[in-house]
Amino acid sequence: MKLIEALQIVGRPTPDDAVELEVSLVCGCTPLHLETFLTAELRERHPQARVHLSSGLFDDLIGNLDRADQSSADAVAVVVEWADIDPRLGLRRAGGWRMGDLTDIVDLSEVYLAQLGSALTRIAQSKPVICCLPTLALPPLFPQRPDQSGAQELQLHNNVASLAAELGKQASIRICSAQVLDELSPLLARRDVPMELSTGFPYSLTHASALARQLAVLIGNPVPLKGLITDLDDTLWAGTLGEVGVENVTWDLDSRSQRHALYQQFLASLASTGTLLAVASKNDAGVVAQAFKRADLLLSKDAMFPVVVHWGPKSSSVRHILETWNIGPEAVALVDDSQTEIAEVQSRFPDIQGLRFPTDDAELWSLLRRLRGLFGKSTATVEDALRAASVRSASEFREFTQGSKSPSDDFLARAEGTVEFSSSPAHKLRAFDLLNKTNQFNLNGDRIGEAAFNDAVRGPGTELITASYQDRYGPLGTIVALLVRPDGTALAIDAWVMSCRAFSRRIEYHCLQYLFERFDATEIVVHYRSTDRNGPVSEFLEAVLAAAPSNGPVRITAECFHERAPGLVHHVLEAEQ
Amino acid sequence: MTEPDIALRRCFQATFPELPAEAIETASVDTVEAWDSLRMVTLMSVLEEELDVQIPPEDLPELRSFAAVREYLTQKGRLS
Repeated sequence: MKLIEALQIVGRPTPDDAVELEVSLVCGCTPLHLETFLTAELRERHPQARVHLSSGLFDDLIGNLDRADQSSADAVAVVVEWADIDPRLGLRRAGGWRMGDLTDIVDLSEVYLAQLGSALTRIAQSKPVICCLPTLALPPLFPQRPDQSGAQELQLHNNVASLAAELGKQASIRICSAQVLDELSPLLARRDVPMELSTGFPYSLTHASALARQLAVLIGNPVPLKGLITDLDDTLWAGTLGEVGVENVTWDLDSRSQRHALYQQFLASLASTGTLLAVASKNDAGVVAQAFKRADLLLSKDAMFPVVVHWGPKSSSVRHILETWNIGPEAVALVDDSQTEIAEVQSRFPDIQGLRFPTDDAELWSLLRRLRGLFGKSTATVEDALRAASVRSASEFREFTQGSKSPSDDFLARAEGTVEFSSSPAHKLRAFDLLNKTNQFNLNGDRIGEAAFNDAVRGPGTELITASYQDRYGPLGTIVALLVRPDGTALAIDAWVMSCRAFSRRIEYHCLQYLFERFDATEIVVHYRSTDRNGPVSEFLEAVLAAAPSNGPVRITAECFHERAPGLVHHVLEAEQ
Repeated sequence: MTEPDIALRRCFQATFPELPAEAIETASVDTVEAWDSLRMVTLMSVLEEELDVQIPPEDLPELRSFAAVREYLTQKGRLS
């Protein structure tokens, strides 16, 4: 992005009903163009938001961190340069580059970085932190020739890398990728020496733009796609199965088809972090089944569900897969070597991401990078590992109930289900995930930012309750999140979501029953609002109230609930705090 | 009006979005309240990027108005 473009974006009016997005930009240098670029990038990514960027005092990074900690910012973006770690590593102070100074610089860097790490960890308790560690080249203060990295230079880099590794373990801290920044912004073109000396802003415009882009991506933390549908011939493997046979499709170096092996390996990686995988292939189902028995396949067949193989239009396969997964096309990518097939699918599902599997090795890198960009997530949860199995079990459950929304008491009893409620903060990450991704069983469709969620969870009187479920068909993991507030003899539910995989098991009824008993409430007030997609909530409330719910507070008395609730047959547990 | 002249006006418009288009040619440090050191640096950076010109920091004090900037860029061969 050019500076003039950023200024024009920043100057655009914001919608009257814009949601506020407050970001603290913490750096030791003058924020200058970085602030402009970051504001512009955030405006582009959040067109419905009014973006407020606050920065602190020049040359006081630690102080600025304290100020950010006290602020009401939704996120804190921290940009650390070498000069913040020690002024002698910058150009605005001439503090000495003698051999004796170098030892002192390295030793003191450990102290500063420890202080920085503590401050960032403290802030991350309440707000997401996006941290960019030094991006500029070190000045030539070390005695070695520039082509050689001496021990002290390496120790400095090691100290920073050690801090980054520790911070990166924390769910609420996102470290900017140095590798991506290297790709976007060549090292030698990052520094503007005249600008640094005259204003205290050290970055070239191109580097400031690249840095701002990366910060904005991590501040926004876009929701990853949920599922990937893959073709088989010349995609998962090289060759056409029906022509060359099971043993002659390849994915190895000797056959010059290693890119297919890397693709299989990548899909296995996605599956291990909870991405749903499915196959849509025009092929003979029997031959495909034989191919999946090959022991050298790098991707387990169990990781792919469903596997849809027939000679009909690929869009009908995709429709079946979306119905099985119960997710929308906007959450899915299709990888196929045929642009024609991708176009056919997108003619029925315009929101699906279509990516062409490359015909030569040179393009593989960008495909895998693009896929990681679409599916990458900051952290993986226990539910991610369960997801594929739970989708399969949910599908089997639907088959047994023949898709009925109201399976019989007898059937549910035979499912031997257990619902376990918990108020443990251990499920906070999963709860946040559910609150921001669930559409169908979502009380009001409200999304909540990380900082606001942390405030709500820690606030007096509000409690986060989650529920997990398992039955004879398998575990679903944590599938319910509620934010509740006791209010005298009543209980308010401000947020309530349930994963669509948990439908038709009356878990929502169990939730209300649990809440009535746990809080000894005579009435529960749910803050309901109708959205395009929360029909299941409307239907549920209508069943409980014997009337369609209106937007706003909906009161459910204990008497009314007990009168209208169906049989609740699951075993209910309450986890220890 | 030449393309560089249009670009010059665009740079001013982007740096001072609150300035009406008709006031750009008479804009100066003395007439535009928002024209502070921060806006000056921003304006110079935008001009450097859009008009492919280097403006050393020591030249900034003389660039106090649209007219002065225009004259400076003309001498640098960036405007007709």
